[in-house]
Amino acid sequence: MKTIPIRLRHIMLGLFSSLALLWPLLFGTGGTTATLEQVFAFAAFAMSYDLLIGYTGIISFGHAMFFGTGAYVVAIALARGNGHTMSFLFGFGLAVVGAVVLSLLVAFISLRIRNAYFAMITLAVGQVFAVMAGSQGLRQWTHGNDGLTFSVPNWLNGDLTLYYLCLFFLFLTAVFLTRFVASPVGQVLRGIRENESRAVGLGLGVVQFKTLAFVVSGVTATLAGGVYALAQSFVSTGVYDVSGISLNVLLMVVIGGVGTLYGGVLGAAVLVGVQNLFSNWSGWPILTQHEMLWFGILYILIVRFLPQGILGSVVARGGVVSWRALPRFKKSQT
Amino acid sequence: MSVVVTLIFNGLANGALYFLMSAGLTLIFGLLRVINFAHGVFYLWGAYAGVFLYNEFHNFLLAILGGVITGAALGLLTERGLMAKVYQDPTRQLLLTMGVLLVLTELLKIPFGRDPAGATIPSMLAKSWLLGHFVLVEYQVFTLGMGILVYVGLLLLLHRTRLGLVIRAGVANPDLVLARGVPIRRIFTAMFMLGAGLAGLAGALAGPYYGSVTPDMGMNMQLNAFIIVVLGGLGSLNGSVLGSLLIGVATAVVGYYAPSLAVLAAVLVMAMVLVVRPAGLFGEKEVA
Repeated sequence: MKTIPIRLRHIMLGLFSSLALLWPLLFGTGGTTATLEQVFAFAAFAMSYDLLIGYTGIISFGHAMFFGTGAYVVAIALARGNGHTMSFLFGFGLAVVGAVVLSLLVAFISLRIRNAYFAMITLAVGQVFAVMAGSQGLRQWTHGNDGLTFSVPNWLNGDLTLYYLCLFFLFLTAVFLTRFVASPVGQVLRGIRENESRAVGLGLGVVQFKTLAFVVSGVTATLAGGVYALAQSFVSTGVYDVSGISLNVLLMVVIGGVGTLYGGVLGAAVLVGVQNLFSNWSGWPILTQHEMLWFGILYILIVRFLPQGILGSVVARGGVVSWRALPRFKKSQT
Repeated sequence: MSVVVTLIFNGLANGALYFLMSAGLTLIFGLLRVINFAHGVFYLWGAYAGVFLYNEFHNFLLAILGGVITGAALGLLTERGLMAKVYQDPTRQLLLTMGVLLVLTELLKIPFGRDPAGATIPSMLAKSWLLGHFVLVEYQVFTLGMGILVYVGLLLLLHRTRLGLVIRAGVANPDLVLARGVPIRRIFTAMFMLGAGLAGLAGALAGPYYGSVTPDMGMNMQLNAFIIVVLGGLGSLNGSVLGSLLIGVATAVVGYYAPSLAVLAAVLVMAMVLVVRPAGLFGEKEVA
């Protein structure tokens, strides 16, 4: 039973990766590759988010704080350095350091007591970043609500290179996170998700492991934000938006499938694809101008009736342990 | 000096609004053990119901009642229709309430649009008095009075009635209350409706208080309420009173000098308290 889904997964993976690799060669660069670059950046972001919600069982409602910081730090470094390669490297390096510091700070005030605190505090901190990015005091750095345009290094300047950079980044993220969740640390994280008291009872430093997951997820999300900024050559306060980014990535992961890692890729493709489609389409305003309403309803239905999401449900059919079975553990313990 | 007095009074009036939000949030958590991420949307719909009714009928009492009823009705639908179905799974309850916030906020934008809509203070509450250099605004006094009224009402409910006894027992041990033959599920629903109704009341009061209503106000108010309950300690009513006043004054003072930094100030106050007391001022020590 168990070999079938794995083989199927490999076939699907191979199919989609070769399609992604060949796409610009077959269909040329243009509107679609720009959309695909966004999909790749958001897919990596969604995978980093799934590490928290799907593998550790903690929910952040402010993950835009990392995505946005990555985008802004890379953008500001490149704008200041006139697109020099050194400023490119410096920007990504600084973004990673910033992400580590930020995630440690947030983890310190929010992860020590209760998982619900984490959700509330990340939401609040995320909002602080959104306000700061648009504030007058930082205007000379961020250009406030106008947004910031910058040029990428010369060797990156070209639709094809940028496309393959985004794809390569998604590939690296996927490999890294797959290895990470399969590692002993990843097993501990899943143990915490399934039964936290038992993990404490086994003498595991639950807070430290959660903090580690948050740092890894934050750094990955920051890099995704940086790559997103590169793909756009522009960054605005929208990258910190609560509903535009933080809740969007939640919808991507939930719709795609919580705890499957690759579900986030599927969710990102669906959401970014539909959002781009709707923004270029003027008919049916109730559908195209309020797409978050329909995605929100879909999200509620999935959480209520299909907690494994689309991909998760497909995989579960193949005989892999289902996520829905988890609450039974919790119930028996009290 | 008059600036300081004005700011502190503004802060107290802000705090009264914050308290109406955070009281519901903290009571719901105390009993149902779930953070209601849809709380801001009850407030938002309460605000729009209040403004709509006041513009139609010019009756402020009706507007306030409409806000409360809108909030409570949405609370009933959310609790019965969604949360009760995934009762044993706190993570999914959390995710569902966030979905309710998202959907209802977006739904409101279809008839009312994304732009702010003006809200007027009813003429009977629009007076203001000059005391030396200090201006006392009647609507702020009214808001503060409502906050105190609700606090006293909640204390009486919790400590002087049989329902309050059941609620406090339910906070301590819901299973045991159920074993005594009390239908705890119904108490849960009632508590959720009470909290949602208070959020609706806060919304109906907030429209005239801030002079306009926008679709963003729900999320912004919810953030303040979260900061307050985390700071005061989840589940503690007195913690949310103290937290509301603290955050109310802090946002009033910082907002006077740098309006955009008010939320930063609130988060910093919260972070400082949490570093010293990780469970909040009056929070119970519970290992996650």
